[in-house]
Amino acid sequence: MASNSRKNVALDREDVLKLGFAGNVVEKRVTRKDDEVRPWDLETKFQYVGTRVPRFDGLAKATGRAKYTYDVNLPGMLYARFVRTTVAAGTVKEIDLSKALALPGVKAAEQVWDLKNPVRYAGQAVAVVCCETSEQCDDAVRAVKVQYERKPHVVTVEDAIKDDAPQVGNRKNATEPQIGRNAVDVEEIDAALKTAAATVDVTYRTQVQTHTALETHGTVAHFTKDATGAEKLYVWASTQGTFTVREGLCRALKLEANQVEVISEFVGGGFGAKFGADETAIWAARLSKKTGAPVKLMLTRKEEHLCTGNRPDSVQHVRAGCDKDGNLVAWHVRNWGTGGVVPNAGARNPMIYTPRGMKTRKEEFAVLTNCGPQAAMRAPAHPQGAFANEQVVDELAEKLGMDPIAFRLKNDSYKQRPAQYELGKKLIGWERRNPKGGDGPLAGTGARKRGLGVAAATWGVNGGADGTAVAIVISPDGTVEVRNGCQDIGTGTRTLLGLTAGEALGCPKEKIRVRLGHTTDPFGPASGGSVTGPTLSAAGVEAGHAAKLAFLRKLGPKLGVEASSLDVVAGKVTSKDGKSWSWDDACRQLGVESVEITHTRGENFDAGFQGTVGGVQLAEVEVDTETGFVRVIKVVAIQDAGTVINRLTFESQVLGGVIQGISYALYENRWMDRRSGFMLNPNIESYKIAGAADMPEIVTVAFDLANGLNSAGVSGLGEPTVIPTAPAIANAIANATGVRVRELPMTPDRVLAALAAAKGGAK
Amino acid sequence: MKSQDESKEPQPLSRRRFLQGVGIHSVGAVAMATTLPKVALAGEPSVDASALQDPAPNTLGPDAVEVTLQVNGEARKLQVEPRVTLLDALRERLDLTAAKKVCDRGTCGACTVLVDGELRYSCMTLAVECVGSKIETVEGLAPAGQASAVSEAFAQCDALQCGFCTPGFVMTITHHLRNEKSPTLESAKRACQGNLCRCGTYNRVFEAAVLAATKGAGLPSGGGTGAGAGAGLKGGN
Amino acid sequence: MKRFEFVEASSLAQAAKLAAQPNGAVRAGGIDLMDLQKEHLAEPDRVISIRRVPGAAEIREEGGALVIGPLVTLAQLASHPVALAKWKAVAVAAGEAASPQVRNQATVIGNLLQRPRCWYFRNELLQCARKGGPDCLSQEGENRYHAIFENKDCAIVHASNVSPAAMLFDGSVKTVKADGSRREIPLAKLFVKPEVDITKEHVLEAGEVVEALVLPAKAGGDHSSFLAAREKSAFDWPLFSLAVRLEMSGNVVKAAQIVFGAAAPTPLRREKAEAALVGKAIDEATARAAAALCFEDATPMTQNGYKVAMGTALTARAILAAV
Ligand SMILES: Cc1cc2nc3c(=O)[nH]c(=O)nc-3n(C[C@H](O)[C@H](O)[C@H](O)COP(=O)(O)OP(=O)(O)OC[C@H]3O[C@@H](n4cnc5c(N)ncnc54)[C@H](O)[C@@H]3O)c2cc1C
Ligand code: FES
Ligand code: FES
Repeated sequence: MASNSRKNVALDREDVLKLGFAGNVVEKRVTRKDDEVRPWDLETKFQYVGTRVPRFDGLAKATGRAKYTYDVNLPGMLYARFVRTTVAAGTVKEIDLSKALALPGVKAAEQVWDLKNPVRYAGQAVAVVCCETSEQCDDAVRAVKVQYERKPHVVTVEDAIKDDAPQVGNRKNATEPQIGRNAVDVEEIDAALKTAAATVDVTYRTQVQTHTALETHGTVAHFTKDATGAEKLYVWASTQGTFTVREGLCRALKLEANQVEVISEFVGGGFGAKFGADETAIWAARLSKKTGAPVKLMLTRKEEHLCTGNRPDSVQHVRAGCDKDGNLVAWHVRNWGTGGVVPNAGARNPMIYTPRGMKTRKEEFAVLTNCGPQAAMRAPAHPQGAFANEQVVDELAEKLGMDPIAFRLKNDSYKQRPAQYELGKKLIGWERRNPKGGDGPLAGTGARKRGLGVAAATWGVNGGADGTAVAIVISPDGTVEVRNGCQDIGTGTRTLLGLTAGEALGCPKEKIRVRLGHTTDPFGPASGGSVTGPTLSAAGVEAGHAAKLAFLRKLGPKLGVEASSLDVVAGKVTSKDGKSWSWDDACRQLGVESVEITHTRGENFDAGFQGTVGGVQLAEVEVDTETGFVRVIKVVAIQDAGTVINRLTFESQVLGGVIQGISYALYENRWMDRRSGFMLNPNIESYKIAGAADMPEIVTVAFDLANGLNSAGVSGLGEPTVIPTAPAIANAIANATGVRVRELPMTPDRVLAALAAAKGGAK
Repeated sequence: MKSQDESKEPQPLSRRRFLQGVGIHSVGAVAMATTLPKVALAGEPSVDASALQDPAPNTLGPDAVEVTLQVNGEARKLQVEPRVTLLDALRERLDLTAAKKVCDRGTCGACTVLVDGELRYSCMTLAVECVGSKIETVEGLAPAGQASAVSEAFAQCDALQCGFCTPGFVMTITHHLRNEKSPTLESAKRACQGNLCRCGTYNRVFEAAVLAATKGAGLPSGGGTGAGAGAGLKGGN
Repeated sequence: MKRFEFVEASSLAQAAKLAAQPNGAVRAGGIDLMDLQKEHLAEPDRVISIRRVPGAAEIREEGGALVIGPLVTLAQLASHPVALAKWKAVAVAAGEAASPQVRNQATVIGNLLQRPRCWYFRNELLQCARKGGPDCLSQEGENRYHAIFENKDCAIVHASNVSPAAMLFDGSVKTVKADGSRREIPLAKLFVKPEVDITKEHVLEAGEVVEALVLPAKAGGDHSSFLAAREKSAFDWPLFSLAVRLEMSGNVVKAAQIVFGAAAPTPLRREKAEAALVGKAIDEATARAAAALCFEDATPMTQNGYKVAMGTALTARAILAAV
C-alpha cells in the first residue's frame, strides 16, 4: 500500500482510502491532522454529491436577472470606445482628437498609442473616446483622424517563413525550433522508421480559432472618493481572474489593493482569453478618474475578433511508425504555427501515446505574423496536436489492418481507458463499423456514406492551494453563505463550491448561498488550466468541514451536549446518544450569533490514483460524397475528472466541449486577407460557429473515479473535453469515405478535394 | 438629449410635428387606399396623382425624440434618436438588460425579443419603429422574483452555462411553445436556428423546451442529450 | 450608425418622392439597410420607412398571379398556403433564408434588392471595384465563397434566395418613381451584370420604389424546387443555390426552367440544360446530364472550384426533386 500525505504537514491520523473505479480499486494510506477532513474516496457516503443539482444561478440566468458586466448601468454612466489601427504594419504619424472632442456629448478623447511604437497588426488601440451615449461613441470614433505610414505586412505562416518576408518583430519571423523533451536526433528516428512495419509521413493543418465568448471583453469602472477623501475604484469586469484584474489595475493606476474592488458575479464566457487587467479595464478606470463619472467600456464584436486572442494555427509534419503488432516505435513532429504578434504559437503537439522504447522528436517553430495575438484557449495546443496525432494513429492501424481502439490500447498507459472504450463502443455501436472503410453495414444511401471514428485525450492539471481560501457564515436563520472572490465563467463553479462545502458541512442544500466574484472576499484562483474546479472544490470540502466543527463547538454548550459527540448528518444535527435536531432548529440555538470561519485550502496530496484526467469520444458521421457536406450523427463522450460533484453540470461541461469541438472540426476559421492584412470575417456571420441545426445526438458520460489527489478528489474538467472531438469526427469521415481530410475545418471544399485526389490517385 | 421640439436644427421635410407621447401610428394612417394603386402595363408609364393627396409623412429626428414604448405591458417613455436600436433602447435607456448585445448584426439571437408576438432581433430593429407595438422581453415573462415555466425548465435541465445567450433562447422557446401544440426535440431544434450558444448548450435547450411543455414531468433522465437521448449511464463504481 | 432623420411615408408614391431627394434610403424590413449603415457602407441622412403604408403587407392572388406587397416578410411568404401550392420554390426559398428572426422582419422585396455579402465589399476600409476602387479584391484574394460564373470583373454572388425562384415564374416588380410614374420590370431585366455597371445590382433609379413583386401563375408551380448548399446546416449563406421548375406531360418534360442563385453576380438562367431536358423522362441519368451542361461555361477562381462538383450534384438533385 502506497502512502499518501500532504507535503510538509505534521500528521497525527491515518486513514486508508479506497481509490480508483469499479474493477480497479486500490488502497492508499493517507495521514492528516485530527481536525482535517477525511479525503473523499469510493467509500464516502454522500448526501448530494454525485446527484443532478440544477446550478444555483440557473434561474437568475434564465430569467434575465443575472447582471453581467455588460449589463451594469450606473447613474450618470458614460460610454467609451477604442479607435483601432487600420493598417497591418507601419507607424502612426499623427492622431488628431480635436474633431472628436468638439462633438456633442463627447466627454473625453485620449491618445492610447505611443507614436514611437511600430504598428504590428490591424486592430491595435490608438485612441479612446468617452461620451454620454453609445451612439455618440460611433460618431466620435469616426471623428478621430489617424495618419499612418504603411509598411509591408505578412499574415500567414507560409508567407512569413519565406526568406524575403517582411519582418514582423525585431528578429526573424520563425523562432529557432523548440525541441521537445527526451528528443532523440533525426538519425535515430530514421533508423527506427526503417525497422517499422508500417509508417506514415503526412502533414496536418489546423486553423486559427477565435474564442468568441458571447460577452465581449469589457469593464465598467467607477472611480470615487469616500467621505475621508480616500480614492476607491470599483470595477465590474468580464474576466476569468478577478484578482489578476485587481493586481493589474493597482499597478497601472498606482493604487493599493484595498482601494480597488473588482466585481464579477456573472461572466459571459471566457475560454482562456480573459485574464488580467486588459486595456478595457485600464482605460475605463483612467477615463472614470478623468471624467469623475462611471465609464462602461465594452469591446465590439469586431474588436473582440481582432485583438483579444485566438488559438494559433498549425502545420504539423508527422513521420511515425509502428511494429507489426502495433507498438509505436518512432514519432517525429515538425510544427509551425502562428500566435500573431507574440512569439508563442502554443501549438505544441502533445502526444498521449508514449510507449516505452518509442523514439520521439518534436520541433516547434512559432512564427510571427501581423495578426492579433494568440491567447490561451480551452486546452491550449491540445486540439491542434490531437487532430494530427489521433489521425496518424488511425492511419497506422489501418495499414496494419488493426482496430483503431485495439491499436490505441497497445500504446496507452492510461488506466481508465480500457473501461472507457468498452463503454464507448457499446454506446456508439462500434460493431457496426466496417474496418475497411467506405461501404459497409453503415453504408448509408447513395452518395451519403456513414462511418465511425474514435479519439482520446489526457489532460494533466489539477489545481492547487495557491492561497485559495473560503469563508463560510452559518446564520441563526439556517442559511449558509459560502464565499470566495473568484468568478464563475459558466463552468458551474458557484454550484461546485456550494455543494462541496455544503456536503462537508452536512447542511441541507437549500440553505446554501454562494457569493462569488468580489475581490473583498477570500482569494480564489483565476479560471484557467481547468484549475478552478479542483482548487475550489477541495477548498470547499475543507472549509465546510471546518465550519461544521466550529458550528458544533458553538452549538454543544447551547444544547447542553458535548460538542465532540455531535455531528451533522444529511441535514440534521445528531448526537451520539441518538438525539437529533433539524438544521433550522439547531441554527436557531445560535441566537443572534453567526458562526463564521475562513479556511485556507491545504496542499494537494503527493500522489493519488492517477495524476491526469482522460476521456474518449466516438463519433458517427454522414458524408455527402457529392457535395462534401459532413453531418455529425452522434457523439459519445466519456470523461473522468475525479469525483463527480454535480452530474448535471459535469455533463454540461462535456457537452460544451463536444459542441465546441464540432464547431472547430467543421466550421470555424479566421480568414486573413494577405493583401490588406485585414481579417475578413470579424463577425459571427462568416466566422462560423456551430448552430442548433448542426447538433447531433450527444451522449455524455461522467466516468466516476476517486483519485485521492486532494480532499475532494476533483480534477480539472473544462479543457480536456474539447480535445478529441475533431479527430474523432475526422476518423469517422475517413471510415465513411476511405479518404482522409488532413485540414481543419473539414468544410465541403476540403472533403471534395480529398475525394477527388483519391479518385485521381486510383486512376 | 433634446426632444425634437427643442431642436434648433431645421427639419425641412417635417410637415407635421411629432406629437409627444402619442404613438407614431396614430398619425398619418387615416383615409388610405387599402389596396395597391392601379398599375399601368409594362412600358406604359402612368402618372398617379394620389400621392399628392397622401397625408404628410411623419418626420422624426435626427435629434432625440420622446416616444412611448409598450414594454412588458407597461407604457415606457424614453428619449431616443431615430438611429437608436430597440436593443439599445431597452438596455441603455430602460435598464432592461436581459436581452444581450453580442453581434449587433442580426447573426446571433442574443438580443431576441418578441414584437407583437413575433420573434425579432432587437439589434436590427429601430426603437422608433416599435411605437404602438407590444414588446416582450424575458423580464416580462413572469412577475418580478418569479420565473416562467420556460425559465424554470432551462434551470432544471441546465440548459445554460455562461448564460449570456440564455435570455434569447428563452424568448425563442417561449415563442415556440406558444405556437406549437406538441413540441419535440426536433421542433425545438428548428425553432432555435437563429440563436447561437458559444458554451455549447443546444441539446439541453431542446430538452428544456420539451420539459417546459410537459411541465411538472420532472427532471430529464441523465446521460444522453439530444434526439433519442440515451439512458443515464455512468461508468465506474 | 450615422444619425439620420426617420420619415414614415404614408404611401409608396410619397416614399418615392422622399427617397429621390439626396441621401435618402428606403427602409422596408431594414435588415440589409441597417447592416450597411452599421458598417458605414450606407450613410443616409434620411431613412424613409414604408412600414405604415396601408395594405403593403398583403399577399394577394390577382388574375391568377401572386402579388406580393413591399412589406410582406419572408416568413409570411414561406407559410402562405397558396404560394406553397403553386409557387412552391419561391415559398421554400423564402423559408430557407437566414433565420426565423430575420424572416419575421426581412421583406421579400428587400431580399431581392439587398446588396452583396462579399467580404471585401462589406469591409468599409477596402475599396473594391464595386465601391469605385480599381479592382476586384477577390480575384487574387480569399474567394472560396465567390462566383464561379461571370466573375472576371467582380465576383460577388447574387445574395437573394428569392430571386432565382421568382425567376422561374417570369416574375416582375412593379414600381413607382418620384414623379409618380409607374413601370413594371421583369426580374430578368432587374439585375445588373458587372460588365454593364459594376457599382449597381439592379436597375432601379434613385427614389424608385417597388410596389409589388408579381409572380404569374405557371404550369409546374408545384413541380418546382429550390436547393441550397451551406457549410452550416442552417443560418448560413448558401455556397451555391438554384431553383428548378418542370412542366410535365405524363412523365415527360414539356418545359423546364433552371435558375442559379449564389453562383454568379446575378441570377443565371441555364437555357442549354433546360432545352436538353425537354422531351425527356426525368431519371438520374437525364438529370445528371443536364446538370453537367449547366457548368460547361463555369470559370472557377483560385479557391472555389469545389462549387462546380457540388453544384453539379445539387443541380441534378434539384431536377429530380422538382418532378
Ligand atoms: C445574418 C444574415 C443572414 C442572411 N441569410 C440570408 C440567406 O441565406 N438568404 C437570403 O436570401 N438572405 C439572407 N439574408 C438577407 C436578408 O434576407 C435580407 O437582408 C432581407 O431580406 C432584406 O429585406 P429587408 O426588408 O430587411 O430589406 P431592407 O434593408 O429594408 O432593404 C434592402 C434594400 O432594398 C431597398 N428597398 C427595400 N424595399 C424597397 C422597396 N419597396 N422599393 C425600393 N427599394 C426598397 C432598401 O433601400 C435597401 O437598399 C441574411 C441576412 C442576415 C443579416
Ligand atoms: S445581437 Fe442581435 S442578433 Fe446578435
Ligand atoms: S451558455 Fe454561454 S453562450 Fe450559451
